Amino acid sequence: MLLVCARSESLLARQDTLYMSVLNSRKHRLGALDNPTVGLFVSTDAGATWKHRGWTGYIRTFYTETGSNGVIWSACGNGVLRSSDHGITWRITTGWEVTEVLKAKVDPSNPAVAYAATAYGVFKTQNSGESWNEQNVGFLKPFVSDIVVDRSNTSKLLAASEDGIYVSTNAGTQWHLSGLEGKGVRMLLQHPSDSNMFFAGTEDDGFFFSSDGGSTWQQSNAGLTQLTVYTIACDRSNADMIYLGTHGGGVYRSSDRGKNWKQVNQGLGNLVVHSLLILPSNPSVVFAGTLNGGLFKTTDRGDHWTFNSQEEGQVWGLWAR
Amino acid sequence: MTRTKSIVSILSALLMICAGVTPLKAQTAGTQFEQRRQRLLDVVSQERDRGFFTVTAKFITGRDKEWALAMLDSLTTDESIGGMFYSYTAIGTYLRLQDQLPDSLKQKIRQAYRERTMYRGDTENHWVMYYTGLYLASQTWPNENRSQWFNGKSSTENFKEAEGWLKRWMNITSTIGQGEFDSPTYFIVFMTPMLTLYEYAKDPVMKRKAQMMVDLLFADYAVDHLGGNYCGGHARDYPEDIINPLSAPAALWAWLYFGEPKTELWSETRYHPRYRGGWETVFGAVSSYRLPEVIYGIATDRSKPYVETETKRVRNVIRFGLDKNPPVYKYMYMTGLYALGSLQGGILQPIQQHTWDITYISDKTNNTIFTLHPFYSGKELAMFFPEEQKFLSDEVNRYHLVYTDPNKWNSSSPYEQTFQHKNAIIILYNIDKEAHQSHIDGFFPKTLDERTEDPSGWIFCRAGSVYVAFFPLKSYEWIEEKVNWRWRSTVLKNGVVAEVGSSDEDGSFGEFQKRIIRSKPALNEDEKTLMVQYRTRTGDEMKFTFGGERILNGKKLDFNTYKLFNGPFIQSERGSGVVKMLFHRKVRELDFNKVTIREWKLSNQ
Repeated sequence: MLLVCARSESLLARQDTLYMSVLNSRKHRLGALDNPTVGLFVSTDAGATWKHRGWTGYIRTFYTETGSNGVIWSACGNGVLRSSDHGITWRITTGWEVTEVLKAKVDPSNPAVAYAATAYGVFKTQNSGESWNEQNVGFLKPFVSDIVVDRSNTSKLLAASEDGIYVSTNAGTQWHLSGLEGKGVRMLLQHPSDSNMFFAGTEDDGFFFSSDGGSTWQQSNAGLTQLTVYTIACDRSNADMIYLGTHGGGVYRSSDRGKNWKQVNQGLGNLVVHSLLILPSNPSVVFAGTLNGGLFKTTDRGDHWTFNSQEEGQVWGLWAR
Repeated sequence: MTRTKSIVSILSALLMICAGVTPLKAQTAGTQFEQRRQRLLDVVSQERDRGFFTVTAKFITGRDKEWALAMLDSLTTDESIGGMFYSYTAIGTYLRLQDQLPDSLKQKIRQAYRERTMYRGDTENHWVMYYTGLYLASQTWPNENRSQWFNGKSSTENFKEAEGWLKRWMNITSTIGQGEFDSPTYFIVFMTPMLTLYEYAKDPVMKRKAQMMVDLLFADYAVDHLGGNYCGGHARDYPEDIINPLSAPAALWAWLYFGEPKTELWSETRYHPRYRGGWETVFGAVSSYRLPEVIYGIATDRSKPYVETETKRVRNVIRFGLDKNPPVYKYMYMTGLYALGSLQGGILQPIQQHTWDITYISDKTNNTIFTLHPFYSGKELAMFFPEEQKFLSDEVNRYHLVYTDPNKWNSSSPYEQTFQHKNAIIILYNIDKEAHQSHIDGFFPKTLDERTEDPSGWIFCRAGSVYVAFFPLKSYEWIEEKVNWRWRSTVLKNGVVAEVGSSDEDGSFGEFQKRIIRSKPALNEDEKTLMVQYRTRTGDEMKFTFGGERILNGKKLDFNTYKLFNGPFIQSERGSGVVKMLFHRKVRELDFNKVTIREWKLSNQ
């Protein structure tokens, strides 16, 4: 979803493949898997149609990210899943030590290296998931909900924790508290064109940005009426255009790189937005994944939304390649 | 791997030696158990409930096999059944019935582990079921590559992972306590997998460890057991079971193994038997495990009152705390007619905690009295679940409507604390004015024989030969409901004092009341907290400050002195991994370090 900003392919004449992680809990009954709408869905026609791919059954998928050569990583309650055939078959790469995985992020410079942000801290693989190692030195509290690998220096990582933002400068070996101490940070994103700029979404304190590589952070909530920020997305065709997905406030849009926000919810049937995706080939098209309201789509940068799919579904993650 | 095998060999040898020197053979409760298990199989084999347990009962009794085959076929192809429940029941059924199943059906069961996503879940019981199933399935189909398993792991990888987690769980449970402890509902999803593991694990160490866990789970239940009721505080339970204890699934296990209650609960609609359709007890009825005589004795001998204290652990705290598994301190006072049991209070489990109760022997339903603060918050949920706080609150509202219900009968609360001494208890509430619910409730069943309010401020209740005295510290009201009177108080700084007695201890109900009225709780409070001082009818002085000290007869209670188990029947030091059960000079010792079970008889001296 958000790291779509970092893609470098041409915006034109490309066919986007969209991925959607869905957990439709309204129909789900534990122990009786009667819901055919959980799992990974793929679209190759800009969301006109979606096809289920890969695993069936309830595994609590929170986030999906693609790598190269058909590799897909998925962060799940069951651990970190990896597919090397475009999601046809999957392997749970982690054992019992790794659980409640909220994000799985791949090192952009080395596809064999990935990080898992979990309720029990950070885990790292250097061999495409064959083995994982705990990387929690320096964390005062281990709950980590997101990680960003700095694309300009992949030894530098930022982690969103229940206690603020932690930074590692040695690829996860050690961490130190860098900012927003005491705040519950849920989401981090690196700006697509300015690698020194990072964004953070928090549970109750709104939106923050850093212009110095994560050393200092500034709150920027002008126009936000709901301060629980689940997701952030950047328009890589317009460096100043940013979207937020929030709890209860739906979608907010900024055209000045996060200084001011405008709520853009017309037609959005559910205001708990957990995932956002800007269509790489056409940035006017944005998808909003809601929790219990399914997927919505806009073709005018959020001015008007229409329901797309997954009725009453929880769309936890969106991604494009 | 070589080293592991060596350790296994040594441990195997050790337990063989121990088995050889065991002076007291494990015995069952005798032929009555055999009769009950046959009766259960007979009853279940006549049922047509969907599931592996019904299928197993039909095969074992030879009744209605065609239907059972069709059902089993359906269970292997129906994608709507799965997850951790499927993980252990499918392989348990396969291993039990493999000699009788056609190859085609066996292949379908194998296929399920190849193609069906088995969700591991997010609770302790989920993982026990999931890894038990994975252990036995990978043991059954060894040496298969990654493409042959639903999770993309080889047989060896799956076996190693399952073995690793199961042994870790057994170690934690036998040293610092169970997380989902003493649950009248969830007991079955620990017991059934462990019985299955005991029955079919080929590794003698794992088999013995599973047997020890079955022993431990049964003993843990036995010491809180009274006539089929699972008494006192529970980590988790459903409200319908809390207010009607014999309707809980664990009661059927008590019937099968302890012989109590005498009644066949499945035929009693007044208990709304929720287990009907589940029938997990079938896996017990077909197991070769037999309840040791010592545990049977612990469960059924109520000739002398006793105090039992225990330590358990809080479910994994993933946020808003530095300690992953803080201790839970449990207190039980048990007699032949009633039990008074409690946890220390606070948030020990999300959503379904039951902190304290009085449970008594009765031929009527709803044989319990308790109070609670019906607390809820997104932050509480976020302590235990990884999703965002606000979302969690929304979700629990949607699926556990009772969570935010002001009238709910199960709840943890950071604003509730207890102090129990034998058959007396003080429960204090210090509710934050910002908390979602600003009242406390008490459950008083309509089936009580008497419920009167004395001018002294005491409320007296009688249920047969059991007497209860209940002193509210603040004003209250009664609300009539279908099966109970709801006692409600809306004062934020609040509390109650209760004592329980019986004809055995106090003579008549009138005598009991006279003894109680001699004393009245003294309340002191300031802006921050409240303190109660009370002299019990037997002369013990209790002084309790919310958030402060619990003082008994001038001596401060130190929870750090609590053992894993401490009472006349079960002894275990925290962290030792050694659990000693005692009954009538017979000792059964589980040593989880040496993986041994030893029994001996104490001398008369």
